[in-house]
Amino acid sequence: MFVYLVRKLIGTIPTVFGVALIVFILFNMVGGDPTYQMLGKHATAQQIAELRHELGFDQPKYLQFLQFLKQIVTFDFGRSYATKQQISTMILDGITPSLTLTIPAFFFTTLISVLIGLLVAYFRGRIVDKLTVVLCVFGMSVPVLAYILFSQYFLAYKFGLFPIAGYDPEWPDRLVYVALPILISVLVSVGYDVRFYRTAILEETGQDYVRTARAKGLSEPRTYLKHVLKNSMVPILTNLVMEIPLLVLGAFLLESFFGIPGLGGITINAVHNSDFPVIKAMSVFMSLLYILGNLLTDITYTLVDPRVSFK
Amino acid sequence: MNAAIQGRSLWSDALRRLMKDRLALVCFGIIVVYALAALLAQFGLIAASWNAQVGAAYQPPSFDRLDTIMGTDIFGRSVFYKVIHGTRIAMSVGLVSSLISVPIGLALGALAGYFGRWVDDLIVWFYTTISSIPGIMLLIAITLVLGKGMTAMYFALGATSWVHLARVMRGEFIKHKSRDYVVAAESLGATHASRIFRHIFPNVSHFVIINLSIQFMGAIKAEVILSFLGLGVQGQPSWGVMIDDAKLELARGVWWQLAGATSAMFFVVLAFNILGDALRDALDPKIK
Amino acid sequence: MHLFTRFGVSAMLAVSFMISGCTPRNKGDTGNTFQTYQPSKVKGLDPIYADDLYSGTEVGRVYEGLLQYHYLKRPFVLVPNLAEAMPELSADGRSYTFKLKKGVLFQDDASFKETQGKGREMTAEDVVYSFKRLADPKLVSTGWWIFEGKIEGLDEWRDSAKAGAPDYSKPVSGLQAVDRYTIKITLKTRSAQFLYALAMPFTSVVAREAVEHYGKEFLNHPVGTGPFRIAEYDRNSRLVWVRNPTYRTELYPSDGEAGDKEAGLLEDAGKPLPLVDRVVVQIFEESQPQWLSFLSGRLDATGIPKDNYGEAIGGNKDLTPDLVKKGIRLYKNPGIDVAHTTFNMKDPLLGKNKLLRQALSIAYDVKPYIELFFNGRAIPAEGPIPPGVSGYDPDFKNPYREHNLAKAKELLAKAGYPDGKGLPPLEYVTTSNSTSRQATEFLQKTFAAVGVQLKVTTYSWPEFQAAVKSARGQLWSFAWNADYPDAENFLQLFYSKNASPGPNDSNYSNPEFDKLYEKSLTLLDGPERTELYRQMARMVAEDCPWIFELHRSIFSLVQPWLKNYKRHAFEHNTAKYLRVDPALKK
Repeated sequence: MFVYLVRKLIGTIPTVFGVALIVFILFNMVGGDPTYQMLGKHATAQQIAELRHELGFDQPKYLQFLQFLKQIVTFDFGRSYATKQQISTMILDGITPSLTLTIPAFFFTTLISVLIGLLVAYFRGRIVDKLTVVLCVFGMSVPVLAYILFSQYFLAYKFGLFPIAGYDPEWPDRLVYVALPILISVLVSVGYDVRFYRTAILEETGQDYVRTARAKGLSEPRTYLKHVLKNSMVPILTNLVMEIPLLVLGAFLLESFFGIPGLGGITINAVHNSDFPVIKAMSVFMSLLYILGNLLTDITYTLVDPRVSFK
Repeated sequence: MNAAIQGRSLWSDALRRLMKDRLALVCFGIIVVYALAALLAQFGLIAASWNAQVGAAYQPPSFDRLDTIMGTDIFGRSVFYKVIHGTRIAMSVGLVSSLISVPIGLALGALAGYFGRWVDDLIVWFYTTISSIPGIMLLIAITLVLGKGMTAMYFALGATSWVHLARVMRGEFIKHKSRDYVVAAESLGATHASRIFRHIFPNVSHFVIINLSIQFMGAIKAEVILSFLGLGVQGQPSWGVMIDDAKLELARGVWWQLAGATSAMFFVVLAFNILGDALRDALDPKIK
Repeated sequence: MHLFTRFGVSAMLAVSFMISGCTPRNKGDTGNTFQTYQPSKVKGLDPIYADDLYSGTEVGRVYEGLLQYHYLKRPFVLVPNLAEAMPELSADGRSYTFKLKKGVLFQDDASFKETQGKGREMTAEDVVYSFKRLADPKLVSTGWWIFEGKIEGLDEWRDSAKAGAPDYSKPVSGLQAVDRYTIKITLKTRSAQFLYALAMPFTSVVAREAVEHYGKEFLNHPVGTGPFRIAEYDRNSRLVWVRNPTYRTELYPSDGEAGDKEAGLLEDAGKPLPLVDRVVVQIFEESQPQWLSFLSGRLDATGIPKDNYGEAIGGNKDLTPDLVKKGIRLYKNPGIDVAHTTFNMKDPLLGKNKLLRQALSIAYDVKPYIELFFNGRAIPAEGPIPPGVSGYDPDFKNPYREHNLAKAKELLAKAGYPDGKGLPPLEYVTTSNSTSRQATEFLQKTFAAVGVQLKVTTYSWPEFQAAVKSARGQLWSFAWNADYPDAENFLQLFYSKNASPGPNDSNYSNPEFDKLYEKSLTLLDGPERTELYRQMARMVAEDCPWIFELHRSIFSLVQPWLKNYKRHAFEHNTAKYLRVDPALKK
């Protein structure tokens, strides 16, 4: 088991290197020039040249790349161009609000969608199934913006059920502020997830062991809960990992409308300001999360599915 | 077993089953209508005058004239025409980005699965890396390089959405390359190219079709998100641009631009979803 | 399935009800709190980077400079802040001698190690240190332009610091701490605008101990002499300021302009500042939550978001009855700015063809633009100088700014392009947000009326600035906000030595204009200078390097319990004058 883990960890190194290389090519070599923005409306040509030198833009590219690799290893990405803040601190500050919003949203979404997914797979092809497709697609099509504007106006302002916007790092106030964004987030993502899980579950219902279970006289609901659900865990877990980057970035609109100081808003601000150090750091950080998530899924597979072994 | 015969029977079997599914046929019809509208708009036969003023600014929908059936926008232009023009953008984004991504995904997946060893390692490394970087970051970077607009969007979506197909193809090629019919072909002296294209490909091609419907839908939705971030289409209406406009308009009670674009998207996404399901049911032997 | 969704959603709702049942606590709130907002995340609180209004306002709560603007008087006038009185000017007009107030303390902070965290007295050396910091090339301040080429010896000090580590002990001839409370500033040439620099956040006085103790993190640890000190600091969501217990005695002004007394603005005359105990700053990046928070009384003052205009203001440009009933007050103030579309004068096509520029200017119809994009909250611009600064000429009508399609076509024909024929599409560069996209469509439609096409290129904001500063593209739109209340700040935008990447983004170059401009720099405010300003304004109106579009008016709404509100276009440090009446705040 330990050897297996170490080997898996070593296996991620080429991927991390690849991510670093691509991110570097995209944002250090072909991206734009942020110096004009940094110096503001009164900039002079001389100041711009000085700033470029100060930022090391005139160094050879391979040196800049080595510098970037060092930043990744030490998790010290320097300072933001736009705000002059320490980037690692920005990420650490942003991660708790992000997770406060996204983990419950993620949990409820998954719970609700898996349940509905099971149900519609069970009623496959019948009117319930068809109707769910329509509802899911409707949920997917209505832009998140519409959900936000309407619920903020009615639920928060008119009916006063939630605070309008804001954030407080203390418990339990924190939950009060993220409740409405969580609700919206669930409404927006349930549609997509139900569609996905329905397919995943259907693929399992065709398998031999399900037939065996039925043949053994197990009732349909029990078959679904005991066997199908357990075996669908693999695609479900995979989907969850795939959604990790969305977890953090997908919430930027919710963050900006509800004033939650999370990573999504930080990233979008960086994009709008061509704040390349922050964009690069965020890309790498997300990739690391994703790679880590993949690693965890692999390990979970071996626990859930006895057919996969610690090779 | 002869591969060609098996392929034919799979397809005709699938087609027979599809024809029985009324709903799927209706959905196919809807997609054809969208495609037709897109095509007609492309050649300027309908909605060419989307830029013309047809009424006052922010006129609510009224049913007495076709051009104000969905109301007007800030400059008094017909929202209905803008929706149709947006259809053109959405369909072309879906089509062109699929034309870019499907060959890439197919080729890389096939090569990796078929040849294995270092080719496999390299390709798997490449797509793992690509899929590790958040797609939105790649999209942003590509629009930075190519400038904003349709071309950048085609490439950005094409270049980021092939990974899924490549993964599936790789898996299928690994499975099929050691099957009897391929081994038999090899012993008869078939070249690598012939084994890949003539023998294995017809047996896995249904995955491409299923993937295509998912891809198309993904591209349409991505266009909306990109335009919303200000990275998409410039200087002409698209669904994303219209939804972005709504951000400024909803507070003053102008809901029709949002509703128009959303419902246009709703029906085509719905059609793709149901058709995709039907295709999967008809083509994928795993869930019969 | 229905059952399941409904169950899921209602379970969610139930959970949220339970937690939202306990309302957020207002820690330490005595009720005497000014609730305000910023529309953007606060970058940091280091004065030398406070180049935008938002960080400037926050910096202004904790830091102070030598001078400030009088809160009530109009036109805008400077008064002493850390200085005891306005400076003495030497006979040659180049040297200012400031006497500092005695007993001004820095706020208590751990970085004052010698005094065990007690704030020490601010002295002349601190002023010199803070000004040198602004010049420090290693820090790349965004405010260096206000001193560049102005103070004797400071540019040389900056150049010498580029090579190695900056040496703050090396004297600068133009910045002398004569004694503990006296500082003498000597300029290279006399300048009528220099004193304004000393009221900007950039020149706030900082404590060397704090800068050195916190290093690069100084921007998150403000230690100033101002009326408030930071209590809670989350620059992405909320800042809470509390009254600084060691603040010096500063009093509410006892005179203002005509009408201030009647408006109740002098009721607190002579009272020690600040009048509120706390300032709570909420970050609202979107306008809807900002607007809804104001309506529900969680914000004491707000601007009116464009899209909530209809809800707030009726047809006659007054408050709607709903808001009047709530006791909300409306203030209208001119913004000291000019929005314009710039012609790239370096471009061979536009730069050489004055008739073409005039034709486009006259084809541009600003009235529907003001209605659609500003709800009528702007006045058409006739030239570069907005009302509210000296040199503005209310009687001047720019002959190329009255919308006249026939005349535009005539000029276009004279320029060699009858009905736009033969004219290639003009390259217009713009940014990619929703509002500028709609504004671009408006411009396209406007020019299409005379047969002129635009080819639009869209950039992110930083890329747009880079494009403009390197004169890519043929035209673009911009707005200039005044840095200080002197028309020179607008006229410098046409001075040839300020060409790109300097602030003269049209790269307009006219030796005659330059001569007048240079002459005006040597003059103090007076009829002679005003006449020169007007002459220059007419010159650029004729040459059309810009389409002069509009000057905005700023509408603000204020809750009934907020007293002493008066908008100031330049002073950032105004929260200290505000008072909250808890009785009116249910």
